[in-house]
Amino acid sequence: MSQAMSRILSDTINFGKQYMRSKIGMFFAIILPILLILVFGAIFMKGGSSKITLYVQNLDDGSMGDQFIDAMNKTGIFEIRNIPRNESIERFIANHSLTVAVQIPENFTYDIGMKLALGLEGYVNVTVYGDPSKTTYNMVLGAAGAVAEGMNFALTGTQPVIGTTGKSITSAQKFNYMDFYLPGIIGMTVMINALYAMTGTCAEYKQRSYFKLLATTNIKKWEWLVSKFLFYTALLSFSLVLTYLVGRMAFDMQSVLTPMAFVLMAAGAFAFTALGMFVGILVKDPEGATAIANAIGFPMMFLSGSFFPIEIMPDYLQAVASVLPLTYLNSGLRDTMVYFNDASALVNLAIVIVCGVIFFLLASKYMSWKEK
Amino acid sequence: MGEKHVEVKHLSKHYPPDIKAVDDISFEIEKGRIFSMLGPNGAGKTTTVEILEGLRTPTAGEVFVLGEDILRGYSKIRSRVGTLPQNFEPFDMLKPWEAIQYWANLYDRRITKREINELLESVNLSDRKNLHSKKLSGGERRKLGIALSIVNNPELLFLDEPTTGLDPKARRDVWELIDSIRDRGTTIFLTTHYLDEAEKLADDVAIMHRGKIIAEGAPGELIERYGKGTSIVLENAGRTGLKMLMDMGIDAELDPINSNNVIVTVRKHSDMKSMMARLASSDIPVTDIYTMRENLEDVFLSLVGSKMEDGVLKQ
Repeated sequence: MSQAMSRILSDTINFGKQYMRSKIGMFFAIILPILLILVFGAIFMKGGSSKITLYVQNLDDGSMGDQFIDAMNKTGIFEIRNIPRNESIERFIANHSLTVAVQIPENFTYDIGMKLALGLEGYVNVTVYGDPSKTTYNMVLGAAGAVAEGMNFALTGTQPVIGTTGKSITSAQKFNYMDFYLPGIIGMTVMINALYAMTGTCAEYKQRSYFKLLATTNIKKWEWLVSKFLFYTALLSFSLVLTYLVGRMAFDMQSVLTPMAFVLMAAGAFAFTALGMFVGILVKDPEGATAIANAIGFPMMFLSGSFFPIEIMPDYLQAVASVLPLTYLNSGLRDTMVYFNDASALVNLAIVIVCGVIFFLLASKYMSWKEK
Repeated sequence: MGEKHVEVKHLSKHYPPDIKAVDDISFEIEKGRIFSMLGPNGAGKTTTVEILEGLRTPTAGEVFVLGEDILRGYSKIRSRVGTLPQNFEPFDMLKPWEAIQYWANLYDRRITKREINELLESVNLSDRKNLHSKKLSGGERRKLGIALSIVNNPELLFLDEPTTGLDPKARRDVWELIDSIRDRGTTIFLTTHYLDEAEKLADDVAIMHRGKIIAEGAPGELIERYGKGTSIVLENAGRTGLKMLMDMGIDAELDPINSNNVIVTVRKHSDMKSMMARLASSDIPVTDIYTMRENLEDVFLSLVGSKMEDGVLKQ
C-alpha cells in the first residue's frame, strides 16, 4: 500500500471512530432518517390529510372542462392541482408516484356541443387514471361520476352526454406515499451528514489548531479531503440500507435499492462533503458553523423535493430548487428507486458529480491549513 | 560551537497596516539544547515558532531549520520535526493509544503496540490509555500532546507554551517530561511566559518584547548581566546593623518588605565569598544570614519595567 493510501486509510478510520462515538454523529447518520421514515409513514399512510390532492389534466379549449374541474373542486373532497397540457399523463403519474389523476379530453366542450346539437348518442368521457386497488382511485371515480351526472342534468335534463371511464395504470399501482418519500429522506440524510458535519469539523479543526497540526505531518490536504469522502460514503451506505429496510418492513414499500442508488448516494456524499469543506473555510468557530450550515441546509432541505414534489411549488421557488444540488440527488434517487429509470438518474448523477467537482476544487483552492 | 539546528537571521513578520509582530530578530539554537523564547502575550513568540514550523511565511529574513531553508525545503525536514501547538487539545473521542497510532501513521511511521505502550509509559499515561481523551485531565491531555509531538522521534521539537493553563503539579510533571526528552538528545524550542519555567528548563533564553529580542543568553548569564546581583539578608539587623555596615564602608539598605532586615547586594558572584567573610567577622546583631539569588523575574522587571503574571504585563 502506498504511503498516501495508508495515510488516507488511517485518517478515515480515526475520523470515523470519533464521528461514530459522538452521539450527534450517530443521531444524524442513523437515528434521524429512521425517525423521519417512521413519522412520515405514520402521517401519510394513516390518512391524516383531510383533503385528497387530485391532479387534473385539462386538454379542453372550451369552458366545459373548466366547469367540470370547478365542480370537482366544489365537492370539498379534493385539492385540485394541474398537470401541464404538454405532459404525458401516464408519465406524469409515474414520475410523481400518483395513485390517481383525471384527464379531460381534447374538444370536450365541442364534442358535448355536437352531441347535444345533433342528438347523437354516447358519452364524452372524462378519464380517471390510477390504481383501482386504492381507495382514493375509487373515491375520485365516484366523485367524477357524480359531477358528470350533475352536469348532464343541468345541460339536458334527460339525455346524458358526459361520462366517466377508468384506466388502470399498472406502472404506478404498486407504489405508495412512502416510496416517494424514501429517496427524499435518503437524499436529505446525505446532505445533513456531509454538509453539517463537515462544516462543523472544519470549524473545530480551525479552533483547535488541528489543521496547523496536520500541516506539520505528511498528510496532504487532498488526502484529508478524500478520507472524509470515503468515510461519509461508507457511513451513508450503511444508513441507506438501514433506512430502506425499516421503510420496507414498516410500510411495505415497493421501491428498490438499486446499484445506481448507491452510486448516487456516493456522489451526493462527495458533493456535500466538498460543499461542507468549502463552507467551513468561511467559519471560525463551531457556533458560526451551525448557523451557516442551517442557513444553507434548511432551505435546501425543503426546496429540493425531499418532502413534497417540486412541481407543486410556485415558479420562483422551482427556479431556486433548480440550482440546488440536493434537487438532483433526490430526483436521481427517485428515478432509479421508484421509476427504475436509470437513464434519467444518470443525468441527475452527472449534475451532482459536476457540483461535487466544483465544490471540491473550490475547497482545495481556498482551504488553507496555514496562516498568512 | 556545536551543530546548529535552527538559524534565524533578521526575521520579520509584518501585518497591514503597520503591525510588526516580529521585528528583525536573529538567534541560533544548537543541537541538543533547550532554547526558550520568553515573553508576555503578544510579544511575537507564537508567530516566530509558527514561521519556524513552516506554518507562516515571513515578511523578511532567513530561517534555516535542520539545515534547510524553510521557504524552499521544509517538506524535506517535516518528518524530523515535532510540534505541540499552543492550547493543544487532543481529539476528544480517540483513546490515547489510538491517537498515537493515528499520528504515527500520518508521519508514515509503522508503530508497534509495544512502541505505543513505551511512549505512553514515557509520558505517564499507561493507565489512561483506554480512556477517551476528553476524560483526561488538563495535564494528561497536554502530556498526550507531547507524546504525539514526539511520535516521529523528532530531532527538533517545538513546544508552544506547553504548560499554559495547567496547575502547579501538572506543570512540574510536564517539566520533567521535557527534561527527559532533552536527555534523549532532542533539541527543544520552547515558548513560555512563565519565567520560572524558562529558568528551570532552558539552556538558552531569548526574552522577547514587542516583536524584538531584548536579551539573550543562558539564564545565569542574563541574571548576572541584567540583575542587580545576589542579596545577602541580615535578619533582624535593624537600623543599628545598617549603621554599622555603612561605617564599614559596605553598601546596604533596609529590606523594603521587612524593615527589621538589612540587605547587602553583591554585584559579582566572585565577590560573594569575601563579602560573607567580612560580614561574619563583624559584630552586627543578627538572628540569621542567608542569600537571595536574583532570578529571571528580576531580569525581566529590570529590562521591561513591568512584572509579568500569566503572560500579562503588570505595572
